[in-house]
Amino acid sequence: MDDPIRLLLILIPALPLAAAVLIGLLGPRVLRQQSHWLAIAAVLASFLCSLLLMRELSFLQRAAGAGGEVALGIGYEEVRRLWTWTDVADAYQQPRTPPGESRESLVGGGSRDFRIDIVLRADSLTCMMLVMVTLIATLVAIYSAGYMHGDPGYWRFFAYFGLFVFSMTMLVSVSNFVLLYVFWEAVGLCSYLLIGFWYQKPAAAAAGKKAFLVNRVGDFGFALGVFLIWTTYGTLNFHDSLRGGELEPARIQQAVAAERAGEVVPAEQEPVAGVFGPLRLADNELRPAGQPRTSAMISLAICLLLLLGACGKSAQFPLHVWLPDAMEGPTPVSALIHAATMVTAGIYMIARCTPLFLVSPDAQLVVSVVGGFTALLAALIALTQYDLKRVLAYSTVSQLGYMFLALGVGSLAGVTAGMFHLFTHAFFKALLFLGAGSVMHAMGNVIDMRRFGGLRRVMPVTYITFAVGCLALAGVFPLAGFWSKDAVLGAVHDKVHELEPHDSDSHGPAPHGPAPHGPAPHDSSPHGSAEGGGTQAVERPESSADDDVTPVFGLSNLLRGQIFHWLYLLGLMTSFLTAFYTFRAFYLTFHGPELIPPEAGRHAHESPASMTVPLGILAVCSALVGLLLDRSYLDGTNSFANWLLWTPSLGFPAAMRTTLPGEFHLSVAGWSTLMALGGIGLSSYLYLGSRHEIHGIRQFFDLAWVSGWSDVESFARMRQWRVARWVRECSAAVGLEWLLRLVVGALLLVVLVLSAPLLLLYYVSPYKLSYHRFYLDELYELVLVRPLRGLARLCYGIDRWLIDGTVNFVGRVPRQIGDVMRSLQMGLVPFYALAMVLGLLILLAVQLLG
Amino acid sequence: MELHEIVSDLIIDTKGLAGGLLGAPTNTSSIALFLPELVVCATILLMLLVRLFRWGRTFHSFYVAVLGCALALAVTQPQQLLAEGGVPRIEIFTGMLVFDGFTVFLRTILLAFTVLFLILTKISGIPDREDGGDIYTLVLGAVLGMCLMASSNHLLMVFMSIEMASVPSYALAGLLKGRRLGSEAALKYSVYGAGAAGVMLYGISLLAGLVNTVHLPTMGVELAQRLPTMAPPEYMVLALAGMMVMVGLAFKLSAVPFHFWCPDVFEGAPAEVGAFLSVASKAAALALLVRVAIGLSAIVPPGLPAGQPIDQAAQTAARDLPGLFAVADEKPADNSAIGADPRAALQPMRSLLGKLIAVLAIITCTFGNLAAYGQTNIKRLLAYSTIAHAGYMMMAVPALIALAGQHPQQAQNAVSGLGIYIALYLFMNLGAFAIVAFFRNAFRSEEIADYAGLIRRCPGMVICFAAILFSLVGLPPLSGFIGKFAVFAALMDGFRLTGETYLLIVLLAGGINTAISLFYYLRVVKVMTMEPESPTRVPFALPMLSAAGMFTIAITLPTLLLILWWNWINESALGAARHLLT
Repeated sequence: MDDPIRLLLILIPALPLAAAVLIGLLGPRVLRQQSHWLAIAAVLASFLCSLLLMRELSFLQRAAGAGGEVALGIGYEEVRRLWTWTDVADAYQQPRTPPGESRESLVGGGSRDFRIDIVLRADSLTCMMLVMVTLIATLVAIYSAGYMHGDPGYWRFFAYFGLFVFSMTMLVSVSNFVLLYVFWEAVGLCSYLLIGFWYQKPAAAAAGKKAFLVNRVGDFGFALGVFLIWTTYGTLNFHDSLRGGELEPARIQQAVAAERAGEVVPAEQEPVAGVFGPLRLADNELRPAGQPRTSAMISLAICLLLLLGACGKSAQFPLHVWLPDAMEGPTPVSALIHAATMVTAGIYMIARCTPLFLVSPDAQLVVSVVGGFTALLAALIALTQYDLKRVLAYSTVSQLGYMFLALGVGSLAGVTAGMFHLFTHAFFKALLFLGAGSVMHAMGNVIDMRRFGGLRRVMPVTYITFAVGCLALAGVFPLAGFWSKDAVLGAVHDKVHELEPHDSDSHGPAPHGPAPHGPAPHDSSPHGSAEGGGTQAVERPESSADDDVTPVFGLSNLLRGQIFHWLYLLGLMTSFLTAFYTFRAFYLTFHGPELIPPEAGRHAHESPASMTVPLGILAVCSALVGLLLDRSYLDGTNSFANWLLWTPSLGFPAAMRTTLPGEFHLSVAGWSTLMALGGIGLSSYLYLGSRHEIHGIRQFFDLAWVSGWSDVESFARMRQWRVARWVRECSAAVGLEWLLRLVVGALLLVVLVLSAPLLLLYYVSPYKLSYHRFYLDELYELVLVRPLRGLARLCYGIDRWLIDGTVNFVGRVPRQIGDVMRSLQMGLVPFYALAMVLGLLILLAVQLLG
Repeated sequence: MELHEIVSDLIIDTKGLAGGLLGAPTNTSSIALFLPELVVCATILLMLLVRLFRWGRTFHSFYVAVLGCALALAVTQPQQLLAEGGVPRIEIFTGMLVFDGFTVFLRTILLAFTVLFLILTKISGIPDREDGGDIYTLVLGAVLGMCLMASSNHLLMVFMSIEMASVPSYALAGLLKGRRLGSEAALKYSVYGAGAAGVMLYGISLLAGLVNTVHLPTMGVELAQRLPTMAPPEYMVLALAGMMVMVGLAFKLSAVPFHFWCPDVFEGAPAEVGAFLSVASKAAALALLVRVAIGLSAIVPPGLPAGQPIDQAAQTAARDLPGLFAVADEKPADNSAIGADPRAALQPMRSLLGKLIAVLAIITCTFGNLAAYGQTNIKRLLAYSTIAHAGYMMMAVPALIALAGQHPQQAQNAVSGLGIYIALYLFMNLGAFAIVAFFRNAFRSEEIADYAGLIRRCPGMVICFAAILFSLVGLPPLSGFIGKFAVFAALMDGFRLTGETYLLIVLLAGGINTAISLFYYLRVVKVMTMEPESPTRVPFALPMLSAAGMFTIAITLPTLLLILWWNWINESALGAARHLLT
C-alpha cells in the first residue's frame, strides 16, 4: 500500500479483531490454554502500529505547520474512507438561512444526503488515545496470561479481550457520529460480556446486567443528541467532505472557492462542512441557525444530551452506580476497561465535541459541576469501603470527575489538562488495579481488606509498585498524577480569574451573592447578551466567542466565577480525600500485622513474572510520564498539550486560539501538594502502628454519641446512681413521690422528643452515608427499579393474557382454515382449476365494483 | 418500406454494423447483447452432445453445466450496472426483447444463483451421474426461459418465456422418479400450469385485440391514447384481459389464490428443486411482473434500436419513435395527439393495476404467513414462507405503479428496492433449502419434529439455519432487514408523494405480517435449540469442515455481513432500475 496512514489506521483495529475471531474459532479445540499468544501478539502489533501512526502524523504535522512552534489555530487531520455504508440522497432539507449571511453556502440551505461512510481519522487526539489504549491493553494482556491461567474460559476471555480492543480503537478513530455510537455500544457490549465473565456467579451476572441497563440510560441521551446534531447541522461527519464522498482537502478547498465565487457546481462537488471540520470551525459556525435564544437552546440541548451519554459511559453522577459493581469481572478487565480505557470514552467524546460545548457556556458549567460533584461524592464513599477493588473503583469515578471538571472549563488549558489527566490516570489506575489483582490472586480471591494485611514481605514487588501507584494517584511530586492534577486545578483556577469581576465592572465589588440579573434579552444583537459580558467583551475582545452566545440559564459571569471558585475548593478537598483513602487502602493491605486468609492456603506468594513485569512497566510509566511530558515548570512547554493542539477540534475554534495551554501555577501546586501530603500524613498517623484512634474517629462520625444519649437502658441504669437513690428516698420521706414521678416522666418525654431527630441522624450519620454509598443504590431501587419492575410485571401480564391470547387465536385460525382446505382440496386437481376460476371471478368482481 | 430495406435492417439489428461479435463493448447488435443466453444454450447442447460419446459419460455433467453458467455470468458483465450513466436501453430482436440495466441485474442474479444451485446439487448429490445430464439440461433450459422472462418486451415473449421456464420445472418437480409424492406433484403442477397458461393466453389475445399491439412500450402509448375515450364495456374487457394476464404471472409467483401447486410441489420435490423454484422462478416472475406493469401503466422511454453504435442509434430513435419493428402495423399517432400529458391519461389503468396487485400482494403475504403456522413439514413451511415472501416482494409493484405517473425517479427507486430484496432473498432461501437438504441427507427426515435438539449434534449448522430464519423474518442486523426496509420505504415514498391510501394499507399489512411471521420461523429455531434430542435418532455427523458445512457458511455469511457493505447492492439495484421510466 502506498498510503501508510490508511494501512496503519486499518491495521490497528483489524489485528485485535482478527485475533478475537481466530481465538473464538480455534480457542475451544485448538488453542485452549495457549490462546493468549495470539491476543498478546495482535495487541502488541497494534501498539507498534499506533506508534508508527503517531510518528507519521507528527511528520505530516510538522510539514503542515510552522515547525516547532505551538500549533494554535492550525489543526491537522488525516481522514480515510474505507467504504460507503449508506447513501440516501436528499434525506433532509436544511432550512435556508436568510440570504446575505456568510454561512449560506456551508451550513444552511438545500438538501442533505444521509451519507454514512466508514471513515477512519488520524489526528492528535485519536493518536494519543490509540497509543494509550493499545499500550495498556498490551500490558494487561500479558498480565492476564498469568492471572487467568487455568480458567475454564481462558480462550473466551482472550476472544472478548480482542473484541474489546478492536471496538475501543475503532471508537477513538472513527470520524462520524453514527460509527462513534456503534462502537460506543460495542465497547458496552464487551464490558457487559467481561463483567459477567464468570456468569455462574449470580453477583457477576447481575452486575453485568446493571452496567448494561444503566448505560442504556446514557446511550439513550447520546442517541437523541446524535439525532439533534443531524437535524441541526445536516451532517454527522466530523470531517469536511464533498457530497460525492471526496475527502481530499485540496479538492474541498477548490469546491468551497468555486461555491463562494457563485459558480454552479454539480451536486457531487458541493462541499459538506463536517461538524468539527475546518470549514465550520475556522468560521466558528457551530451556532445553530435561528434566533439567538433558540440557537442557544439547541446548543445546550445537544451538549446536555451528549453529556448524559458521557455520564453513563464514564460513570458520573447520577449514572455512576454501575462501575463499582462492575468489579465483579476479572481484575485485568477492571484495569483495562473499567479504569483505563472504556470509561474514558465519555471524556474522549466530550473533548472531541469541544467546539459544540464552546458555543454553550451553560453546558460547560454543567459539565464542570457534574464532574466536581462526582469527584467529591465518590471520594467520600471511597473513604469507608473495605473491598480493595471497590475503593479503586470509586477512586476511578472520582478521578473521572476531575477530568469532567477540567473539560467543563472549556479553555484550551482545561481540555488539555483533562486529557492529560486521562492519560496519566490510565497508567497509575491500571497499575493499582493490576496490583490489587495480584493481591487477590495470592489471597485466593479474597478482596476484603479486613481479612488480609501486612503483605509487604509476602509480595514485595506488588508492594513497591502499588506504592508508586498510590503516590501517583495521591498526586505527590514528581509522579504523573501530580502534574495532571495540578494542570486540572490550574485550569479551574484560571477560569475563576477569567470570570472574576474587574475594576471597571459596573456592578462594583459584590463578591457575595449573585449580581442582579434579569433573564437573557431576546434581541438578536450579539453584544447585548448581558451587561457584564458586554463590558467584558469591550475590554477583552479576545473572549469574543463567549459574548456571541446567549446564555440560557442567565447566570452572570460573577456567579459562574463563584461556582468555579467553589469547584476549585472542591477539587482541593477531593485531592486531600484521595490521598487519604488511597493510603488507607495501601496501609490496610500491606502494613500492620501479617494476616493471610485461609482461602490463600499455604502458598501465599508473589505473583509470577508475567504479572509482575507489566506492574513494573506501569510503575515506571506512572512515575515518569508526567515529568517527561509536562515541562511547564521549566520553560512553559507542555509537550502533551502542544501535541494535542493539533487536533482540529481543539486547535481550530477561534475561542481556543486566544489562550495558551496551562501555565505552571506554583500556588496551585503548593496547595494541592499540601492537601495530598496532609491526606497521606493523616492516614499514616491513623493506620500505621496501632490503629486504636481510627475506632474512635469512626465512632465519632457514626454519631455513636447520639446513640449513647438516646439509649433507653442508660436511663434505667441512672436509677441506680447514688444521687438518684438519694432523691428518691428523700421524696419518699416527704411523701412527694407522685411529684417526682411526674417530673421524671416529663423530663424523659422532653429528652425523647429532643433526641428523636438525633436518633434519625444516627441512621444517616456521615459514616453510614459513606459506607452505604449515600444510599443511592437503595434510592434507585425504591424510585426506579421497584416501579419499573411493577410495570414490567403488568406488561408481562398483558403480554401473557392479551397478546398471547390474540396470537394463539390468530395462530389457531389459519390452522383451522388449513384444516378446512385440506379436507376440501387435498389432492383434487379439479378443485385447483375451480379455485383458480373462482379467484379470478372474485378479483374481477372486486375490481369492477370497488 | 422496401423489402430489401427491411431485410438489411434485420441483419443490422441481429448482427450489428460493426464486425466482431464478442468482447466489443460498443457492439449493440442483438446477438452481442444476447450472448449470456447463447452461452447457456451452447452449454445445454454441449451437455447433450457430450453424452453421446463414451468418454463423455465418464465425468459428471455438473462440470459442463457449472462452467457454462460461470462463463455466461462472466459475459453478462454485471459491473456495467455501476458504470456512469447506467446501461442504455436497447430493444433487441426487433423489439421482442429489451436489454437494459434491469435485464443485466436479473441475468446476474439468475446465473449466479444457478452456479450456486449447481454446486449445491453436486454437494448434496441429488442427481447422480446417470441422471445428471438430464437434470442439468432441464435446469439450464428453465434458466434460459427465466432470463427471457426478465427481458421480455412483448406479450408473446412473455407467454413464451413463461412456458419455457415452466415446462422444465414440471419435470424437475418429479425429479425423484420412484416417489409417488413427487410424480403427483409434477402432474398437479403441470395441469395447473396448463390452466394458467390458457387463461393468460386468452388475456393476451383480448389485449391485442383491444390495443392493436402486444409490444409493451407501444401498448402504453396506445392505452394512453384510447383510455380517455373508452366506452365502459370496452373498459371492462380491458380489466378482464389485464386480470387474465395477471393470472399467468400470479401462477408463476404462486400468489394466492393461484398458489395451490406450491406446497404440494415443494413437498414432493427434493429440497434443492424447492430452492430453484422459490428463488430463480420467483425472481424471474417478479421481473416479468415489473415489465408488464410498467408496460401497461406507464410511458416507457424509447428504446434504442439494436445493431447501431449508441450515438447513431439515439438519432435513429429520435427520428422514428417506437423502434422500427414495433409489431403495431401502423406507427402510433404523434404523441401530441394523446393530450398534454400521456402519463395522466394512464391514471385509470394505474389505479386498476395498482389496486389489483396490492390486493394480491396483501392476500398472498397474509395467507402465506398464516398457513405456515400449522405446518409440520419443513419444506411445506418453507413453501408457505416462499408464498409470503412473494407477497412482500409484490408490494413494491403497487408503489412502482402509483409513482410511475408523476415521480419516475421514485418509481425507479421502488424497482431498485425490489431488486435489493430479490438479491438478498437469493442467499436466504437458497441457504434455508440447502440446510434442509443437508439435514435430509444426514438423518433422512424433513419433519420439523425430528429437528429437536439438533444444536447439540451440529451446532454450526443450527446457528447458520437460525441466522437465515431470523433474516427471513427481517430482523435488523441481518440482510433480510435491508430488503424489507427497501420495499417498505418505497411504499412509504409512494404514499407520501401520491397520497394513495391503499399503499399505506399495503405497508401496514406488510408490517403486521412481518410480526406474524416471527412466530413460525422462531418455532423451528426453538425446536432445534431448546427441545431435547430424541433418543431414537440415528447418530450422524455433519461437521462444518465438510463441503456441506463450507457451503452453508458461504451462503450464510452474506446474510450476516451484508449489512456492513450494502451500498454496492443498493447502487447496482439503482443502476438496474435506471432508464426504466421517464
